[in-house]
Amino acid sequence: MANDHNHDSSHGHHYILPDGVAFKAFAALLVLTVITFALSFVHLGSLNYVVGMLVACVKATIVVGVFMNLRKDDPSNTVIFASGFVFLAIFVVLTSTDLLFRGNVYTNNKPIFKAIAGPSKFKKPWEPTPELVAHGKDVFSQQCVSCHGAAGEGNGPAAAALNPHPRNFTQDAGWKNGRKPSQIFKTLKEGIAGGAMASFATLPMDDRWALSHYVASIGPNILKDETADLAKIGVDPTKDSAGSDAAPSVPVEWAMKKLVQEAGAGSGKQVVPGASDSLMHYGDRLDAATFSKQKP
Amino acid sequence: MGNHGQVTPGTYHHGHHWKNAHEEFEGAKQGMWVFLVTEVLMVGALFVGYIIFRAMYPEAFHEAHKLLNPKLGLLNTFVLITSSWTMVLGVSSIQRGQVSRCLAYLMTTVGFGFVFLIVKYFEYSHKIHEGILPGGLYTYKELAMDKVPLFFSLYFMMTGVHAFHVILGMGLITWVMLRVKRGEVSKQFFTPVELVGFYWHFVDLVWIFLFPLLYLLG
Amino acid sequence: MAHANSTSHGSNYLNHEKGLWSWLTTVDHKRIGLMYLATVLTYFLVGGIFALLIRLELFTPGGGNLITAQTYNRFFTYHGAIMVFLVIIPAIPGSIGNFVLPMMVGAKDVAFPKLNLFSYYVYLAGGIFATLALFLGGADTGWTFYTPYSIRTSGAVILVVFGAFIAGFASILTALNFIITIHKLRAQGQSWSRLPLLCWSLYATSVIQILATPVLAITLALLIFERVFKIGIFDPALGGDAVLFQHFFWFYSHPAVYIMILPAMGVISEIIPVFSRKPIFGYKAIALASFGIALVAFIVWGHHMFVTGQSELANFVFSLLTMFVAVPTGVKVFSWVGTMYKGSLTFNAPMKYAMGFIELFTIGGLTGVFLATLPIDVHLTDTYFVIAHFHYVMVGGTIMGFVGGMHYWFPKVTGKMYNESSASVAFWLILLGFNLTFFPQFIAGAQGMPRRYWSYLPEFTLMNQLSTIGSWFLAVGFAWTAIYMIRDARKGPKAGDNPWGAGTLEWQSPSPPPHDNFPVDPVVTTWPYDYRGIKI
Repeated sequence: MANDHNHDSSHGHHYILPDGVAFKAFAALLVLTVITFALSFVHLGSLNYVVGMLVACVKATIVVGVFMNLRKDDPSNTVIFASGFVFLAIFVVLTSTDLLFRGNVYTNNKPIFKAIAGPSKFKKPWEPTPELVAHGKDVFSQQCVSCHGAAGEGNGPAAAALNPHPRNFTQDAGWKNGRKPSQIFKTLKEGIAGGAMASFATLPMDDRWALSHYVASIGPNILKDETADLAKIGVDPTKDSAGSDAAPSVPVEWAMKKLVQEAGAGSGKQVVPGASDSLMHYGDRLDAATFSKQKP
Repeated sequence: MGNHGQVTPGTYHHGHHWKNAHEEFEGAKQGMWVFLVTEVLMVGALFVGYIIFRAMYPEAFHEAHKLLNPKLGLLNTFVLITSSWTMVLGVSSIQRGQVSRCLAYLMTTVGFGFVFLIVKYFEYSHKIHEGILPGGLYTYKELAMDKVPLFFSLYFMMTGVHAFHVILGMGLITWVMLRVKRGEVSKQFFTPVELVGFYWHFVDLVWIFLFPLLYLLG
Repeated sequence: MAHANSTSHGSNYLNHEKGLWSWLTTVDHKRIGLMYLATVLTYFLVGGIFALLIRLELFTPGGGNLITAQTYNRFFTYHGAIMVFLVIIPAIPGSIGNFVLPMMVGAKDVAFPKLNLFSYYVYLAGGIFATLALFLGGADTGWTFYTPYSIRTSGAVILVVFGAFIAGFASILTALNFIITIHKLRAQGQSWSRLPLLCWSLYATSVIQILATPVLAITLALLIFERVFKIGIFDPALGGDAVLFQHFFWFYSHPAVYIMILPAMGVISEIIPVFSRKPIFGYKAIALASFGIALVAFIVWGHHMFVTGQSELANFVFSLLTMFVAVPTGVKVFSWVGTMYKGSLTFNAPMKYAMGFIELFTIGGLTGVFLATLPIDVHLTDTYFVIAHFHYVMVGGTIMGFVGGMHYWFPKVTGKMYNESSASVAFWLILLGFNLTFFPQFIAGAQGMPRRYWSYLPEFTLMNQLSTIGSWFLAVGFAWTAIYMIRDARKGPKAGDNPWGAGTLEWQSPSPPPHDNFPVDPVVTTWPYDYRGIKI
């Protein structure tokens, strides 16, 4: 009867791995390990990765197929085990669509994939050209219009709520840094303190030069940069390229201080980093010493 | 996976909810594969983190990996592969009813585990001494490049979690050895040996990927 | 040693062995199911109390009615963490699943009974760690533990996180047990095409648990190591990436919501055909849709991260993929409605809850499509709209399924029948209370009220007050349910073996069932949704 509790000889046919097969698998694993090690000294560029991982996969197949008996086992066990790797692949692929396609801010200005953050298209971008101005107009319509308005008159939809008012680019009055392209470039890079004009240093350099030329072009008259003006922002006009920009991130230390200050602003309370009743608790486990050693 | 049965050698009583001992064994084995899938995902997530950061910071990771010792890594790879072999021989021994042989192989496997851990001890203590530590604890001045500490965060997490599983595996093998000695595990009922063997092979499997990825390719 | 055979002298799993110790050391899946039930309901009470306190604080716009901002942050963290990790995820699989699944497949127990008991204690241990945290400094990070705040903030974050970490193992072990039970312990004749839909749902749920929970485990472990050893993987100040934490976290937590809803959908699939006296419409479609949902569950997690600074590519991909989950879900809803069409409907409590489920889950699910739409989510994310959405699906969905299932299997588990009019009162209190609590939150959210805020702008006052009042009705409804269920379990009228005239195997056994589940090993010859031969 099926429910016999006593000495039950219905073991089924258990496959016992023959010692010879086990030894051959072991030997193969040793050889493959030596091959991996040897190949790591041969410089094949990114092919090293492919080869290394491929050999590892072969070794893994031997361990799983022979040592763990999958090759002789119920195929559903193979399906079960393999499914883990399928979902791991989904995890890494979809996460990569974010982390590896972000562009400048998170990669210290180095492009991960050239297609996304390509090399500079313009030589001597500080010299105005029709293409730069046209490109600048495009970027303007995406980045600037909401405050400065479609015609750059400082009357965009968000302008009503801003004090000070966004700059009217069609007039001469009020430019804090000046109207020359290099001066507009400086404004874009640093922002303007005390107002809503943020730093746009996260835009690629080419975009910022293009914007500078476009904004200069809609002024009452177009001003030109002299060599001295360019020198002020670190551009050598005898070269073709302006080099790379500094990393567009703020030091974390500075950001923490600002946040703690703002949390206390207006509440009449003195917010001190480390104080346990601070509203945001950012201060609690931080201390200047910890962060002075770290780069952002 | 438990043994519901009596200890009398030669007889084995399977759980009453199973049709027979064979079904019980097949069920336990499949259960072990399902458990190993969870380990694939758990350890695999660390590999995912590594792959992503490696793609983002290739130079830093390349420089950092040079601080690892590939010869020690190679030695440990040989150690684990050999221990997998002795584990397999232990399993087939008990399947044939060769108790003392099984015990000898299992003991050797645990021995190899010890060797692995000792090599790891030397690697870690050297790094700790030099200040080559994870993330915020990193103080090694000779390589102060940005993002290098991140490599070591991943290195210590991945090899640390792996070493933890080596220790667990050694404990499980020892437990199984005791059961074999007591006669609870035998030719009639060797499920625990086979399944603990799977665990040990999985530990070897993870190292098969860890070694080239961290030590050789960087 | 033969197990005493079952139906004679009213011997059943409840009186098979007596005494507290026999319960604490039982390996009987039915008893373990009841132990899970008791613990889940206890945590439901605790999490619910935090919810009531939150709603009380939000009765007026200014902060500080009841609690400080700091305490408020802790309360919504506890409410979320307890409800997600200790209630909704274990509720149906741990209690109803454990009790009913082995019987439905015709087995005497789950594949690994001792592992089952162990999983209960692991769950309990996780709960205890998390509870301890409440008294040892608490946590104010929100149940999502986003970095870098969760790295920096003081408090017992590690304890709460560790509690969730431990509880996750219970989830994995239960899933493992269910998968092997369904694969290997089906009775003779119990082919895949005769497997009840609750089993299909629990199977899909278990697959998700196996694949997703380990990633949560490593994420929480990494978070603990970040706090203790400053490893810096998720900490931008140490070179890591805070958004990577969110990827790791949501890779589990999104599939987790399907762990929560699939079992409830399985319960609904059991109830509706029985109370329509009509075979389930689209049996194969529903079974396949369970796996469709499980698969799509894994490729959409980035929709929780649309405004985190995720790349445009990822935003686009995740928004598009999220749309697909509506398809298998819709298949199920249409199949249930198709079952009721031209059926002979009776509205006992289980059916009321099933229909309530369809209403509430449909609203919740549709609002999920709004949130999946990237440009709309930019405005609705982190507002009360999201809160209303997930409460509609998790409470309006899972809890309705859970309570409906408790009523449906009440006679089988206790051998007694609950009182229909008591149940009716509770149902309407719960349904109306729920809608009153959460519908205004859709409105407040669409108007811009942010979530996790201790104080809000005066224009949201009416919606908040309606919501708070609704929460009181909900509370009374649940309290009354607990009262009459305990009352009727002890003193209710005796129930027959199959009071509903259902076709799944557990109803072929006495109520309450014997220790071994069946007096005679069952042999299955019919599809469980064929009601022609079954008399009530």
